[in-house]
Amino acid sequence: MSKMARIRKEKKTPWQKFCAWVNGDAAEQMLLPAQPPKESKKKAAKAKREKTTSNHRKDMGLGQFDHIYRICAVLIGIAIVSVLMAVVLKLPLFGSPDNPSVNEVVERYVEKGLEETGAVNMVAGMILDYRAFDTFGESSVLFLAVTCVTMLLMRDRNNTDKKEDMLTAQEHVIEGYEEDIILTKISRLIIPCALVYGIYVVLNGHLSPGGGFSGGTIMGSALILFAVSYGMIRMSRFFTYATFRKVTSSALMVYAASKAYSFFTGANHLESHIPLGTPGAILSSGLILVLDICVGIVVACTMYGFYALFTKGEL
Amino acid sequence: MENVRIVIGLVLIALGMFVYLTATFGLFRFHYVLNRMHAAALGDTLGILFVLLGLMVLVGWNFHTLRLGLIICFLWLASPVSSHLLAKAEFVTFKHIKTECEVVEK
Repeated sequence: MSKMARIRKEKKTPWQKFCAWVNGDAAEQMLLPAQPPKESKKKAAKAKREKTTSNHRKDMGLGQFDHIYRICAVLIGIAIVSVLMAVVLKLPLFGSPDNPSVNEVVERYVEKGLEETGAVNMVAGMILDYRAFDTFGESSVLFLAVTCVTMLLMRDRNNTDKKEDMLTAQEHVIEGYEEDIILTKISRLIIPCALVYGIYVVLNGHLSPGGGFSGGTIMGSALILFAVSYGMIRMSRFFTYATFRKVTSSALMVYAASKAYSFFTGANHLESHIPLGTPGAILSSGLILVLDICVGIVVACTMYGFYALFTKGEL
Repeated sequence: MENVRIVIGLVLIALGMFVYLTATFGLFRFHYVLNRMHAAALGDTLGILFVLLGLMVLVGWNFHTLRLGLIICFLWLASPVSSHLLAKAEFVTFKHIKTECEVVEK
């Protein structure tokens, strides 16, 4: 202990100064007195503001630093831009057949995609049939992220005290009392349209651009809009933590089960035993529709979960 | 006829770009939040209306026209509401609001 105190009292070495500067302590000490004490009359302060700040900067030797900073910024910017431009010049021509990215994999996707997956939207056929495990990993990452955020931010008995509980109760009272009439009227118009549009994007994922991720985001934003305009209390009538858990984990499990069946039928993922149907119809292209719905549900719940946990700390 | 349509569309888009230019100037030149928001809202509503109308004229009468009209509807519904909420937040949280603008008390 005594050693530590002695070190603190001693003059700072350059390294310690640097550490303090990185941590923002030095800047705070330098900049805090530079702020004008109080702006009771804004108009008078406005005229003086520029003068005072420049004077303060000169007093603290920040004027020189400002110049160097600007020159360095320009130089570094030019250097980075020139390096990037040089790299761009070396890149192969876009779309030329000699590119290393054009190989037999892409050829196979383009030529046999419709025939093998039955999806008119080639991207959906790629990410949800050829590379379905990859997409499964992405949805799991989303689920894991929201689980971690829940662990860190969820409010329960262990990380709240009575004072915070009182505050949240007050917030709930204010929330229930005051509803912005403009917001509620408009969101009553917009939310159903947004939900229907999101469902359309999810269900049409194998026929047109879109799919689980984009449609799920639209549905999640509709849920967030509902929570903003009508409050968490009304939201909890149909969407609680229990529903969130059940819906997302069952969607992920359906995804895993429907893709893992191929392990039991010879571990050949390309040869599907499910009829593909006629390309272009809603009920076609095998499992892609089911997987799209699962991904959409997971993404929508995750979007809303992030919003709710970061603002209120509860679902 | 075809040329007239293209010219009308381009003029509309140029008008929208002009509105956006004024909105951007206002956004950087004004000092107070509510003034800046007023300038930005100009671009969000009138500018986008002119640009999308110009696109509608350029595309001609087909299904895309309807889609562009729907985008106009959505933006005109959503953008003023968000501006309203931002202004409300500024009104509630800024103590010295009377020094910046007139306040009508009920």
